[in-house]
Amino acid sequence: MKIKRKTFSADVPSMAMGDIIFTLLIFFVILARAQDDSHLKWEPAKSPDVDQAKHALASVVIDVNNKLYLNGQPIGVSQLAGALKERLGNAPAGERTVLLKVHREATAQFFEPVIEAISEAGGDLLHVLEQERDDKKQARAP
Amino acid sequence: MKLRLKRNKLMAEPPAMATGDIAFILIIFFLVCVSVQPDSGREQQIPRSESKEQKTEQSKNIEVAMTRDRATINGNPVPNEEFVGRLRTMLASKQRPEDRIVVVKSRQDTPYMWWIKVTGWIEEAGGIITLQLEEERTVVTP
Repeated sequence: MKIKRKTFSADVPSMAMGDIIFTLLIFFVILARAQDDSHLKWEPAKSPDVDQAKHALASVVIDVNNKLYLNGQPIGVSQLAGALKERLGNAPAGERTVLLKVHREATAQFFEPVIEAISEAGGDLLHVLEQERDDKKQARAP
Repeated sequence: MKLRLKRNKLMAEPPAMATGDIAFILIIFFLVCVSVQPDSGREQQIPRSESKEQKTEQSKNIEVAMTRDRATINGNPVPNEEFVGRLRTMLASKQRPEDRIVVVKSRQDTPYMWWIKVTGWIEEAGGIITLQLEEERTVVTP
């Protein structure tokens, strides 16, 4: 006697396709855009006029402990110019943006040599700052 | 005689089974919004560092010196509110870019937030920033 086995269909429901694609899209957006220096602790200085940052080829951070990082990896200031030159490669002018994220309390002895190294590597320096809100002005306004 | 037509009322509620998926997608969506928030900041053009041969040329340029909370123009202390105006007046007669260079000297304990404010004023006045760093040299005595 033959026993018939039940067959189950194991298809992915077509209704869920939209959700799956949306989730994948978000996943790849995160991979492409997430900064790998997000774990570092630093507070930006404030400035009244700031612009949106362009796509950057490198990100340099001086954290609350005055330690220097290039794309999230610790680096010495003497190696910075060489490492930046390597990363910037032959990118044309205007597309050689280097983000500089300096903790607001860091002193010149730490950040000036870094600025010099970025300039030596031929990077387009962009200080990452926070928009300063002029609360006093707003309060005075009618 | 009035005819009353009964309309079929359709249920348009989302299935309760999908609530978990919806919440998950929403969490991811807001996480992405936070993580890909673009950096904002200020571009700064700093000429590449050069050796000391240009010292005579530099002596003609305006010099801004910074301490922890003060800034001077050519050695004269200037109140913060007058800084831009005074520098603009000094730069008004200078047309060539090389004449508009402002040499920035900072004491080692100058904080970044003060430095960024003063360099912002220099740029606002139309100056081109050049850093003058103290060079460290090791002298071996016999």
